[in-house]
Amino acid sequence: MEEARIGVYVCHCGVNIGGVVKVPEVVEYAKTLPNVEWAEANLYTCSEAGLSSIKDSIKKNGLNRVVVASCTPRTHEPLFRSTCEEAGLNKYLFEMANIREQCSWVHSHEPEEATRKAMDTVRMAVARARWLEPQDEPEIDVADSAMVIGGGIAGLTAAVSMANQGFRVHLVEKEPQLGGMTRRLGKIYPTLQDSSEIIDPLMKAATSNKNVQVYTSATLKDVSGYVGNFKVTLKKGTEDANLDVGTIVIASGALNYEPPKGSFQYGVLDKVVTQLQLERLLTEGKLTEPERVLMIQCVGARTGEVWTYELSDMKQSFAARLLSKILGAKKEEGWPYCSKICCMNAIKNAIRIKELWPKAHVDILFSDVRTYKEYEDFYRKARTLGVKFIRYVREIPPEITEAPDKKVKVTAYDTLAGVETEFLCDWVALSTPLCPSKEDVMLARMLKVPLGPDGFFMEAHPKLRPVDCQSDGIFLAGTASGPKDIPESIISAKAAAARASILMGNKRLKAEALTADVNPDLCIGCGLCEELCPYGAHKIESGKSKTIAAVCRGCGVCAADCPRHAISMRHYSDHQILAQVEAMMAQ
Amino acid sequence: MVEKSALVIGGGIAGIQASLDLANRGVKTYLVEKSPSIGGRMAQLDKTFPTMDCSICILAPKMIECFRHPNIELLTYSEVKEVHGSAGDFTVKVVKKPRYVQADKCVGCGTCADHCPVELPNEFDSGMGIRKAIYLPFAQAVPRIYTVDKDHCLDCGLCQSVCNAKAVDLEQQPVELELHVGGIVVATGFDIYEPFRITSYGYGKYKNVITAMQLERLLSASGPTGGRIMRPSDGRIPRTVAFLQCVGSRDQRFGYPYCSSICCKYAVKDAVLIKEHRADSEAYIFYIDLRVFGKGFQEFANRAKKEFGVKFIRSSPGEIREDPETKDLTLWYEDTLTRTVNSLKADLVVLCTALMPRSDSVELAKILGIETDRYGFLVPSNSLAEPVDTQVPGIVGCGYCLGPRTGDIPDSVTQAGAAAARLSEILMAGSG
Amino acid sequence: MSEVESVTNAKDAARSDNASFDPRILVFTCNWCSYAGADLAGTSRLQYPPNARIIRTMCSGRIEPVFVLEALRDGADGVIVTGCHPGDCHYVKGNFRAEKRFNFLKMALKQIGVEEDRVRLAWISAGEGEKFSLLIRDMTDKIRELGPNPFKSSNIKAT
Repeated sequence: MEEARIGVYVCHCGVNIGGVVKVPEVVEYAKTLPNVEWAEANLYTCSEAGLSSIKDSIKKNGLNRVVVASCTPRTHEPLFRSTCEEAGLNKYLFEMANIREQCSWVHSHEPEEATRKAMDTVRMAVARARWLEPQDEPEIDVADSAMVIGGGIAGLTAAVSMANQGFRVHLVEKEPQLGGMTRRLGKIYPTLQDSSEIIDPLMKAATSNKNVQVYTSATLKDVSGYVGNFKVTLKKGTEDANLDVGTIVIASGALNYEPPKGSFQYGVLDKVVTQLQLERLLTEGKLTEPERVLMIQCVGARTGEVWTYELSDMKQSFAARLLSKILGAKKEEGWPYCSKICCMNAIKNAIRIKELWPKAHVDILFSDVRTYKEYEDFYRKARTLGVKFIRYVREIPPEITEAPDKKVKVTAYDTLAGVETEFLCDWVALSTPLCPSKEDVMLARMLKVPLGPDGFFMEAHPKLRPVDCQSDGIFLAGTASGPKDIPESIISAKAAAARASILMGNKRLKAEALTADVNPDLCIGCGLCEELCPYGAHKIESGKSKTIAAVCRGCGVCAADCPRHAISMRHYSDHQILAQVEAMMAQ
Repeated sequence: MVEKSALVIGGGIAGIQASLDLANRGVKTYLVEKSPSIGGRMAQLDKTFPTMDCSICILAPKMIECFRHPNIELLTYSEVKEVHGSAGDFTVKVVKKPRYVQADKCVGCGTCADHCPVELPNEFDSGMGIRKAIYLPFAQAVPRIYTVDKDHCLDCGLCQSVCNAKAVDLEQQPVELELHVGGIVVATGFDIYEPFRITSYGYGKYKNVITAMQLERLLSASGPTGGRIMRPSDGRIPRTVAFLQCVGSRDQRFGYPYCSSICCKYAVKDAVLIKEHRADSEAYIFYIDLRVFGKGFQEFANRAKKEFGVKFIRSSPGEIREDPETKDLTLWYEDTLTRTVNSLKADLVVLCTALMPRSDSVELAKILGIETDRYGFLVPSNSLAEPVDTQVPGIVGCGYCLGPRTGDIPDSVTQAGAAAARLSEILMAGSG
Repeated sequence: MSEVESVTNAKDAARSDNASFDPRILVFTCNWCSYAGADLAGTSRLQYPPNARIIRTMCSGRIEPVFVLEALRDGADGVIVTGCHPGDCHYVKGNFRAEKRFNFLKMALKQIGVEEDRVRLAWISAGEGEKFSLLIRDMTDKIRELGPNPFKSSNIKAT
């Protein structure tokens, strides 16, 4: 192996790093490390100026290894690797030291310690860099077909978009019919048109497209493989179907949360229903002219939020009730997030009722009215029609009791009027959030993708990669990744289709080089690697282990367990890891 | 014959993402941006909510990817003048405005700006900082080429004489380009409402009443104050900061009746940043409805209240008065939850104003032959079923130029993907 | 003096130096879950003690006992191996292998007198920034109580 000539670039990242870590000291320290031939500081290493500086100094100083000490490699490694390539270095001769997310940002009040940690982290990165070797990237084929999981509005949209571009799409739906949640809605806001006007043409477009193969009453049994080469087993009735696809789009939707029985008298009093159930009753014509309909927002949503009030400002009796409620309160049932669409949904049904029966009273108990964008006009329309909006205290569920004549009595505190108010209602509609289904956990496991802290599928990056999953080749569409309304679901589905189409359109993909390398001289053909590998990347042939590089995902389990240490992991060799371990404690 | 190429108008995050999605799909893409650099609004932000990522840090790699992509041709400081044709076969006339600096010679060293005698308020800093007549809009500008603002240039020729690369050319002429593309993406973004007309707030009169974008520039490490929140009148770091929501939004008298969708969210973010910058500071958010919907946002707002101590007051303050000596401000408001009238003394007031269509959005729409709504936002062909298509097949939109929508960055990025998908369906129909 | 006595003496000596002792903790993270969780702690600006140093591998299943032993031999006061939650491993079951090896390692370490709490295994998902920060805080406190690594060369006197 050639003698390492390492360049170290320490980033200020504006004040994100430089405001805590003493960057010039880290640079000077780096210069003292063996094999470091060049060290400099940059204001923003990822800027054009920074990248040019790297390329110039590589050429000027004959550097053959590069260490950048800045932010997380999870966002910036590809950029710096490309830069090294442009300067003539193999991109695997590059190492990053994370001194922002894992240093300056988490030790912001301890600049001395953070600087010491940054120096240690640079020393460890330099130690690894000494052992880095150039790697080749094998190219893999990408099948030009996709699987879409879920035949609701998002799944249908994604399928049609990809099919229109010439890709074969397998659309898998677990129910007997397509259409998902949209088909169950009556009217859609804000146009108040029938949901069938949106979903029927889409279903037709999907089923009539020669590139789309629809499987209804079908579930996923198994998914294996990797981007470009997923092997899927479907279960349809008693039969199994096997598919080979290049990309996967998760469009499995979300459920409407139902409060536990007894909560808000749901499941106890017939006239207490969810907003979705009220919608069904309206659509199916099962509602007779009511005198009063009351809607309660944020039921089972925004849990964990306690907005304490200035008790002294409140009416005495109410303050006492609030206090006793909070002290006696059990952990709230439901979900911590805001489901975004419930305000508009309630207003939609409120407007529908008012347009059918102008004399009916419709009251909405709200915490915040979240009619964003031009939905503000819809909110105004409801108020013009006479819908009353009453701000209640979300932490104190209104008291709901049975009243004579099959009515329901609701008592709630109107914070804006400052009085406790009683409502005698014919119907009480609980606006509950969209929530992830328990089946998502199984699906996530099968696809090896993570769920976020809110239980929905997690995006690769919440700002810049909102439809990508962390695993390559798998994308997210619709409410599977969080509550959305109809246009948002459609947009996310098209975006997922765009991302999947990029992979399928390019037909070939450069894979990572991080594969296992068996040394046949040391291998004794014991077969442990073959047994352990979840991808079947090792096969014992003629008493030795052979690696199928295209299938190897580089986890390193085989290398760690091989009794003869015959397997080495490219780019994560024992030498490289041990060098970092040793460097941690060295001074 | 379908031209397998596209034009993207606007180089903010939506335009950048659309360009990358198209280019990666194999479509030759022209990205036209009228200002000297791509980056748009996202480059002006300090941090993004709710992840608190450094905005330019996550944007810069995408800007550079655009710049280096073999399928993307960046046409900055350029404008679209004429469009003819139809889906699959558009002819577009683009004018490259003269920078008076030769792009292939300029290395972006900045010596010219150091010597330029003219000082002007910097648009990128929302007027809070200074630039010269020859300038780079911001440190991470892509492309890194200086531009001369001829309207304010004295023609003294100093820049030309000190430029080692001999890049300055004060005689440069505009260049007309004719492009043939199969599809067009409009991604021109938004402007920020400046509430001069709401005289009770004193914007434009009181130095310490600023817009949220101006605060972003003060917060930003690469901004005019290097990330120290120095209030305009005396440079003091404010102890009490008040945020006023819905200034010019949800308003039937001034500004616009719609909700701008992101202001409550960024106010919470900025309030947290204020508390981070100075631990003993107080941040108040005056709101009507706290619209912190979206992924992770309610949770973030809860944290802002519980952990950071941000105070929320449900009120729309009636009046702001300035102390003529200290330039401190007093807000008079009715707290709707306690039904009491109070006042608050603040060192700095941040107005979270409406986001509105660009001033030239109607003109551009006319050039393209597409519709705009009564505010100037683009109208999709079907707001529910075809949310990124315009009335003209082959022309799609994405980002805030389509209106507030959810309004935040992931929304713009997703819409950009959808726009790219729509164009791919047209350009690659059946071909895969 | 036997080797065991030597080690015990070293431990006592080390513990009495506790007051000024700043633990040095090595954390192995996996690329898909725990490293991302550590990053999330950063983007969330969750503050934790600066005593940890992080090494990233693609999977916790890559971590061999010898890496942990080397760390202890070089003087690390604590070692944490982190990875995806069981069932969530990006490579299917790498973390199960890691756990199996780790349990064996713990038994072996017990034999040679390394305290139970000096090495730890923890599952951190990409969304668990807070958990990561609390883990480092907790480990730092525990190690501070335990005292410095008794195997630090300076602590063991030659027999």
